[in-house]
Amino acid sequence: MSLLAFFQWCEQSGIGNTIRKSAWLFPLIEAIHLLGLGLIGGAVLVVDLRLLGLGLRRYSVAQLARDVRPWLIGSLGLMIATGGLLFLSEAIKCYYHGAFWFKMASLFLAIVFTFTVQRKVIMADGVGVRPLWSKVVALVSVALWSGVGIGGRWIGFS
Amino acid sequence: MQGRSTGVLIALVLVVCFLLTAPGAAPAYMAQRPTEIARQVHLISSDPAEEKWARFVTFPRALPLGAASLQTGSNEGSGGALLNFFSRMADSSWSTGLHESRYAYDLIESVHVWALCLFFGLAVLFDFRLLNWTMRSVPVSEVARRLLPWTVVGFVVMVISGALLFSAIPLRSYQNIFFRTKMIMLLLAGVNVWIFHSGVYRRVATWDVNTVPPRAARVAGALSIALWICIVLSGRMIAYNWFDCDRQPQRPIVNLLTSCVPAASEH
Repeated sequence: MSLLAFFQWCEQSGIGNTIRKSAWLFPLIEAIHLLGLGLIGGAVLVVDLRLLGLGLRRYSVAQLARDVRPWLIGSLGLMIATGGLLFLSEAIKCYYHGAFWFKMASLFLAIVFTFTVQRKVIMADGVGVRPLWSKVVALVSVALWSGVGIGGRWIGFS
Repeated sequence: MQGRSTGVLIALVLVVCFLLTAPGAAPAYMAQRPTEIARQVHLISSDPAEEKWARFVTFPRALPLGAASLQTGSNEGSGGALLNFFSRMADSSWSTGLHESRYAYDLIESVHVWALCLFFGLAVLFDFRLLNWTMRSVPVSEVARRLLPWTVVGFVVMVISGALLFSAIPLRSYQNIFFRTKMIMLLLAGVNVWIFHSGVYRRVATWDVNTVPPRAARVAGALSIALWICIVLSGRMIAYNWFDCDRQPQRPIVNLLTSCVPAASEH
C-alpha cells in the first residue's frame, strides 16, 4: 500500500468520518490537543530552563526531570491520542500540507532527542557534563519542540 | 535580567509585526485573491449536506461591517459606544493591513500559541505544586520565585500578541461569545491570583516545605487550573462562528450575550 493510499484509508475510516461530520468534535478535540500542548510545553521548558541555568537552579536536574516526567509522558500520550484523531479526520489535507511533514519530522527528532541525548545529560546531573553542552542540549530541545508546536499551528493555515 | 528579557521579547514581537504588516497592506493585490484574505475563522455551514466545519471564511471586506452596523442599528443598549469604537478600529488601515497580510497574522498567532507553553505550562506546574502533584520536595516559595517570573514573561507576550490578533478582527471578536467568556475568565483568574498572593501566600514561610499546602492554597491552585483551562478552551473556540452575529437566527439569549440586534427585530 502506498503512503497516499494509507492516508486515504485513514480519511475514510469510521472515526475520521464521524469527526468530520460532527460540528463539535473537531473543535473539541483540537482544544484538548491545545491544552496538552500547554502542559507538555511546561514540562519541557521547566527542565530546559534548568539546564540553561535558569529557573529552579537550586535543584538537581535529575530530580526535577524525575518530578515532571509523569506529566511529560502523560501529556505526550494525550497529544498523540488527540492528534491522531485530528489526523484521521483530515489525512488527505495533511498529506499535501508541508507543515504536517515538518511537524512529523520535528516530532520524531524531538522524541528521539529527548529520550536519548537529553536523558543522558539529565541523568549525568552535571557530573562530567560541560555546562556549555547542557545549554546546547536545552536549546536544541526547545527548538525541536517549538518546531512541533508551530508546525502544528501551521497545518491549520491554508 | 528578567526586565531586560521581557523588553527584548516585546521589541522582537513588535519588530516582527511591523516588518510583516508593511508589505502585507496591499489591498488591491489581495482583493483579487479572496482565499488569501481567509483568516482563522471556521465557518459552520447551516446546510447539513455541506461539510460542517473548518471551511475558511473569506471576509468580503465591506460586508461584515455593513451587516454589523445594520444589525446594531442606532447604538442603543449597553456596549453601543464600544461597538462603534471597534467598528471604527476594524476600518483602520492597521487592522485591515494585519487582517489581509499574508503571514503577519499567522505568525502572531504562532507566537500566541508558543507563549501559551511558557505561560500556561509553567503556571499550571506551579498550581500542581500547590496541589502536591509534582516537585514535592521543592519549597513552594522556591517554585514561585523561580517559575513565576517566567510566567510573567509568557503573560506579557500573550497579552501583546493577543491584543494584536484582536486588533486584526476587532468587531467580530468583540461580538464573539467565546471572546467575551475568555475575558471574564481572565478577570476571574486575575482575582484568584490576587487573593492567593495577598492571602495565604503571605504566610508561605509557615507552610513552605509542607508537601501538602494549606487548604486555601490548594483551592487557589485548583481554581487557577480550572480557569486557565477554560480560558484556553474558549480562546480556541473564538475561531468558530456558531454564535456569530451574521448567522441569524440565533437564540435570544445568544444575541443578548453577544449584543447582537438581528436586522429583523428592527422593523
